[in-house]
Amino acid sequence: MKIKAPRKYVIDNLKYALNPASIAVVGASRYDGKVGYKVIEGLNKYGYKGKIYPVNPRAEKVHGLKAYKTVKDIPDEVDLVFIAVPAHLVKMILEHSVAKKAKIVVIATSAFKEIGRGKLQNELTQYCRDNKLPLIGPNLVGMGSPFLNFNCGFIPYLPVKGHVAMISQSGANLLAALGTSQMLNFGMSFFVGLGNKADVDFSEFIMYAANDEHTKCISVYSEGIDSPEAFVQACNNVVAKKPVVTIKVGGSKIGNKAAFAHTASENTNTDDAYYDKLYEKAGAIRAETWEEFLDISLALGLQPPLKDDNVVMITNGGGSGLLSCDHFERKGMPMRELSEISLILSLKIRAYMPMFGSPLNPVDISGTATPKNYKGAISQAVCDPNVSGIYGSICPTSVTDVAAVTDVYIEMYNKYKHLGKPFVMECQGGQECFDSIIKLRKNGIPAYSTAEQAVNAIVALRKYGKIKEKF
Amino acid sequence: MEKKSQLDYSLGSEDQLAWKKKYFFDPRGIGFLEPGIVGLDDATMSAYNVAKSSYQIHPEVFNMEYLSKATKLDKKDIIKRMKRMYNEHLIMYVMNPATQVYGYGLYYWFVKLKEGTSETEKAELAQWFQNKDDICTGYKCKDGDFDFYNGNHMRVLDNLLSTVITPCKDNPCVEFVHICPIRRDIRESHVNMWDSTSETFRDNIWGTGQLEKLAKMQKLLDLNDLKIFKALNDKKPVKDMFDFKVLHQISGLDENDMLNGFKSLVEEKRIIVPLFHLNFPKLGLTEKMFVIKMFQTTPSYRKAEIVDDLVAIPEFNMVKEFSDAFYDAVCFAYNEISDIDALRKKISSYAEVEEIKESNVDWMFRRWVCRLDEKNGFWEECVFTDDFLEDRTDKNSPLYCTIAGKEDKK
Repeated sequence: MKIKAPRKYVIDNLKYALNPASIAVVGASRYDGKVGYKVIEGLNKYGYKGKIYPVNPRAEKVHGLKAYKTVKDIPDEVDLVFIAVPAHLVKMILEHSVAKKAKIVVIATSAFKEIGRGKLQNELTQYCRDNKLPLIGPNLVGMGSPFLNFNCGFIPYLPVKGHVAMISQSGANLLAALGTSQMLNFGMSFFVGLGNKADVDFSEFIMYAANDEHTKCISVYSEGIDSPEAFVQACNNVVAKKPVVTIKVGGSKIGNKAAFAHTASENTNTDDAYYDKLYEKAGAIRAETWEEFLDISLALGLQPPLKDDNVVMITNGGGSGLLSCDHFERKGMPMRELSEISLILSLKIRAYMPMFGSPLNPVDISGTATPKNYKGAISQAVCDPNVSGIYGSICPTSVTDVAAVTDVYIEMYNKYKHLGKPFVMECQGGQECFDSIIKLRKNGIPAYSTAEQAVNAIVALRKYGKIKEKF
Repeated sequence: MEKKSQLDYSLGSEDQLAWKKKYFFDPRGIGFLEPGIVGLDDATMSAYNVAKSSYQIHPEVFNMEYLSKATKLDKKDIIKRMKRMYNEHLIMYVMNPATQVYGYGLYYWFVKLKEGTSETEKAELAQWFQNKDDICTGYKCKDGDFDFYNGNHMRVLDNLLSTVITPCKDNPCVEFVHICPIRRDIRESHVNMWDSTSETFRDNIWGTGQLEKLAKMQKLLDLNDLKIFKALNDKKPVKDMFDFKVLHQISGLDENDMLNGFKSLVEEKRIIVPLFHLNFPKLGLTEKMFVIKMFQTTPSYRKAEIVDDLVAIPEFNMVKEFSDAFYDAVCFAYNEISDIDALRKKISSYAEVEEIKESNVDWMFRRWVCRLDEKNGFWEECVFTDDFLEDRTDKNSPLYCTIAGKEDKK
């Protein structure tokens, strides 16, 4: 249901969604294949230290814990009520939650507006609003935070620690992001599935994320923004401090219908151009594909904004340089020649390449480049006052010590990060390059396996630089 | 063409059964109407689902007006008693789904253990059945011809053989397993099912004085409790079954939609029979199980007639007819509150009956898919393990039910 602006009582209570002192799990099951079992299993497995109250009128105990017939029967205070029962019981449980004075409810249950029960969903939402009880969902997968050891939902694992707050309407894509996090060291501060977002809105989680100490980039996956004013207001409030990255799906003709069937997202009278304008007004950075969404979120979570277009690419592979040049131009940010950025740098950098190297931009220090060559070229470039960002590339020739070059980049990054110049890396190749990417990411450098991904990240850093100037 | 028996045991209208006329013999002896398939979370199931999920704390989902009139008890008293009966695990609200859809069979099977099998070994096997989620209903027996009597919903016979029957047969303690496909599901838990004669469908049958005897023989339920229990199961229109206002208050769903949906399933399609199950072993009751074998020369219609005769005996709280099996029918009656000798004599009075086997049921594992296993903390845990789309003979199949076989790993 629409809101005009982010609501204070909701934002204030969102801390109970991610860091509750006590949780009632309604629908807690004794069977390990059922959602209600997985919720408690996840909480225990990942080290949740608060109190867990299983609610199941049929059971005496669940997971060795005393089970209660209703939320109202729990003797202590309840911060979060997690609901994993069929839709036909949700109304009663919300009433019990209000009676219990719970701080927030999360409804994992499906079968509301997305199957035509819009009236029921709206009635339940209004009931929660009337009672100042924020409702997250329904139709969601859960939420969690690796910093808080909190995994609440039917979620197989936590992401690695990092700085991206992932706010997603889709549970499946949220889980995909968590998988990527594990596989590719995509660090997150917290994550939340919003599902049908009947009550708690994107805007309110954006406001929450703005004040979250671990969050440096707020990433929003949406299938429809039905409270645009609130979204714009929230983004306008936060983008000077933290970037907001968005992806909007369901824009195609059939995708529009699928978005309704999935998360009851209504996109009446909207199209891609509408969302372009909306995001521009909000100061949010829009990604077109899922890969781009993750790539630029990673970069914005790790690196400072790029203050101008003066990026120097240092590579030992001319091909990756060319791929990058073309993609920079496609993205509307053509690379500048090194001599235009800094004439003196173009002369100095010669010292770190063989005679057949190229001091243009990309700076091709050649396939025979040693770690020493890299170190010299990087340090020379990063120290040049006209250079605003470093784009590194490693091509694994038979003489390239990929691991050593990776260490050089990390060393240089750590040595010069006080200058506030972003480092982005591209490492295209086999296992050694994959290992390099993971190591770079673990050390705070966004690294990718293709030139286009890296360029997208740099372009996003530049966009955020412009947004910061505007807001 | 030979004239059929005066009684037509087929289900469905003449038009619906016109296809049978192509054949001299009706296929399988009895033609049947496929009632269709309804998902358990289908909107038409809402009334049942709301009641099933909330009666534990809100017994008033049932029609208290009706119950109060039927029992002459105060509504508050009824609610209090129902809560107590539930909390003490004496009653459970369940439903029997029709399974006579072609390719979706209902199979029961008798197990006999070898002589000399110890009580410990029998208990281990009982535990295996208890935890076997493929099994929707199961009974432990003693003092007789069988040691277990279990039932499965299965679409594919090989799935049944692979996951349940074969492992059971392979147990060194097992003498034999006899499979009995259900031809007619006539009465269960005192209530007549869809294969009873049409007008008696959903009749709730108890023998004269049985409730009074039961009230006297134990202390957990008094006669008023039993009157409530009986009234809950007594046949009535779906509209009188629940308090639809309460169902609406709990769920927010439309009263009329819930009524019409469930009415269509129970009264029109006859797919579902909702009812309360009595946890009879906890009350000290045991069931006498008569397993009836008729001569193979007995024609199908005559078998059906005999079984219908037996169904008319109200002391039989369960009656099923089998096909393609060693046995033709099974009837249950409580030992403690029935005249067992008279029942045995009645069954024996048919010239077609070749043999009666007997056992006493002293424990029940599940009532349909709901576990009755309060000892292990699984009271009313419902696990539906239909083999839809599964090849359970292929243990590496990605579609293999994740639940089936779990108990083997423990």
